Amino acid sequence: MLTLQDLHVSFHGTRVLQGVTFSVTHGETVGIIGPNGCGKTTLFNCISGFVDASSGTLTFQNKDISRLPPHQRAQSGLGRVFQNFGIFREMTLLENLLIAIEAKRGAANPLFPWSKRAKKNEALALSYLNEVGLAEKARSKASSLSGGQMRLLEITRTLAVGADLFLLDEPTAGVSPKMKEDVVAIIKRLQTLGKTILIIEHDITFIQKFCSRVIVLNEGRVVLDDIPERVRADERLKDIYFGRDEERVT
Amino acid sequence: MSLLFEAITSEYTIHLCVLCGLYLILAQSLNLTFGLGQLFNLAHVASYAVGAYTTALLATEAESPFWVCVTASVLTSGVFALLLGAIALRLSNDYFAIGTLAFSSVVSSLLINWRSVTHGVLGIPGIPRPDLLGADLYQNSHFLALMSIFVVVTQVLFYLLYSSPFGRALRGLAEYEQAALALGRDTRLIRNFAFFFSSAGAGLAGSLFAYYLSYIDPSSFSLGEMVFILTIVIVGRPGSYWGVIAATIFLVLLPEPLRFLQIDSAYLGPARQLIHATLLFSVVWWKRRVLFPQQRQV
Amino acid sequence: MFDILPQLLANSLITGSIYALASAGLVLTFALLRFLNFAHGHLMMVGAYTFFYFSVAHHLSLAPAAGLTILCMALLGSIVLRVFVQPFLTGNSLLPLVTTIALGSILEAVISIQFGVNVRSLPLQSGIESLEWRGIFITPLQIFIIVSAILILSALAFLIHQTGFGRRIRAVAENSAAAESLGVSRPLIVGVVFLVSVILAGFAGVLVGYETNIQPTMGGSYSIKAFAAMVLGGLGNIWGTVAGALILGLVENLSIGLDFGGYSLPAGYKDAFAFLTILAILLFRPQGLFGTRQRTT
Repeated sequence: MLTLQDLHVSFHGTRVLQGVTFSVTHGETVGIIGPNGCGKTTLFNCISGFVDASSGTLTFQNKDISRLPPHQRAQSGLGRVFQNFGIFREMTLLENLLIAIEAKRGAANPLFPWSKRAKKNEALALSYLNEVGLAEKARSKASSLSGGQMRLLEITRTLAVGADLFLLDEPTAGVSPKMKEDVVAIIKRLQTLGKTILIIEHDITFIQKFCSRVIVLNEGRVVLDDIPERVRADERLKDIYFGRDEERVT
Repeated sequence: MSLLFEAITSEYTIHLCVLCGLYLILAQSLNLTFGLGQLFNLAHVASYAVGAYTTALLATEAESPFWVCVTASVLTSGVFALLLGAIALRLSNDYFAIGTLAFSSVVSSLLINWRSVTHGVLGIPGIPRPDLLGADLYQNSHFLALMSIFVVVTQVLFYLLYSSPFGRALRGLAEYEQAALALGRDTRLIRNFAFFFSSAGAGLAGSLFAYYLSYIDPSSFSLGEMVFILTIVIVGRPGSYWGVIAATIFLVLLPEPLRFLQIDSAYLGPARQLIHATLLFSVVWWKRRVLFPQQRQV
Repeated sequence: MFDILPQLLANSLITGSIYALASAGLVLTFALLRFLNFAHGHLMMVGAYTFFYFSVAHHLSLAPAAGLTILCMALLGSIVLRVFVQPFLTGNSLLPLVTTIALGSILEAVISIQFGVNVRSLPLQSGIESLEWRGIFITPLQIFIIVSAILILSALAFLIHQTGFGRRIRAVAENSAAAESLGVSRPLIVGVVFLVSVILAGFAGVLVGYETNIQPTMGGSYSIKAFAAMVLGGLGNIWGTVAGALILGLVENLSIGLDFGGYSLPAGYKDAFAFLTILAILLFRPQGLFGTRQRTT
């Protein structure tokens, strides 16, 4: 479904991604880990289209999307959840969902707020909110939500816009331990719906729960790409996270 | 009691209502870009001028009928905004404000210097009142009635815009552009549309203004005028539909009591300016924590 | 056409010098506080009227009038800083832009009420006869303008780059938290720089008053011209801004002075050049002619 081929990204002369190559098949859930600053978010930004690659190709659903602007990539099914909560805090939960429903490819946009179509959209939005337990807060501003609730809203919203591929950037960041389970639940629901998921996370034990594959990034390169058990056991993981002390033997 | 009735129906009151109507259209249309879209467009008054001059020229030189003039004004202002947008929308924040300011100043300079077209500082006199269905629109009360129709229609249109999917998408992209893009919204297109509608509204106001005053010159489209319209939107809260309506009426009427004090007419203009500027500053100071939220990005 | 070129160049130098003095103040506040002072042109206007008040209305001679003007500008500057600028520096830089827009209107209104809206000029008893040098006509006043610009700007450059105080200014401009942790008093630096900026604006305004004329509504267009010089030279870069000011003066004078095969631009379009320059630079080279991506003094 998604293929990155030899992707290179530079900022002001610093090489952030160097020759990143991997593929994700339909329905797979792949975790991406690596130390801070190794280029994970840049990788997502490149896939989403906010950052241009200096070389390499990006293929999504058998189409080369390297030249497509971000909104067209989104229209073709590429969804994104942002680390710093990409929800619109100044708008209500209902409005956040409505934007997604209205933006979905092929959606008919109602002209009048009282028309049938508008009511149908609103009902649909409420049903999405209901599934994540946020229906009572539908008309409150999104800024009143907790971190976990914001994350649920954002993932639900990406579902509502009709995304097939989900790029989740640290979905448990800023989420209380209690709500983490709700986040896990919604990710599992995405899996049962047959969605393809890429998750950036720090905790490998966490993503082990639902990832069939883990990619380890370090200094802009893919270092490991394997099933979670083998990645965990790999010596190189310790080196990447803790550094290798040349004088002592581990 | 009859004195009150006379006061209400007097030419003075009618004049105030016409002014309110004009500024209702101007402020609500600026609210679309500045309020919802967080676009600091200082060239709004230039759109106003484009509309006014289009109607003035068509009505005097080509003797075009009312509907032609109004439609032409609305469309020319809209297209003008697309030109402005092509330049200004590449700029961010501070630069956007200066860029639109510069654009507006170029227009101002053209109004004053392109004498063959605009007649420079002499302006364009003799704009006839519209000839519609036999109504005597030279009577200001009748003109006010015509204008009220336009005001109500535009306010309704803007209400529909604000509560439409377009309005939601505009508000979203103003807060977090990449999130809006990630939902599949073409942000550049949306911003251009916002500019178009906003400017078209100002163009309509310009057209009505030209008909009302029968004479226009560059001095009505100054930086001071822009600051006034901006003040209305800020005082009414940017993005708030009803707030801007209330602020328009409040700010147009607020300095009027000055007229009844025994002060020299030369002081009226600066006094109004002082009142408005002080109010602007006070509101900005009071709302400083929420007025211009930082735009979020990855 | 080219025989009048030397005169045009001289005129450019005069206009450029005034713009340089005007925009130097603007760029100081921008580099230090990261906001655009929309009322800068209006402060110029106030300086001119204040000097007018002391020297013409009260017939004081040059030195006391100048001294009192500087005092008044300093006082005004500290009020402006405390009321219109400082409370609005955290958060979006559009906030102080709007408050200075309000300030500009307030200043314009107050001066209009006090002095009337008509155009005035600062009169000169002597120094108005043109001197001639190799075909160029220039008055002693104009020479004074150029010389004072050179002296003041050089003094400013010396202050900023060669003195300890200047080092502290640069430190606060680059990273105020780090500077403060080293014991630099940010309030003192900001206060001094802002006052210098306002006094410079006032001085430039007085020169405008002598060289051309003044009216309460002139603030807006001078603010825009100062923005143009700053944008042209590179936001936050003093020498760039000075260069930008000179180029602006050059472009303005050449555009109306030269005639291109019998057609010459009406003088009124002179101002439009500043505006078009801003647009062109913002579009094609936003960092200005001499700026870098980062803002430095």
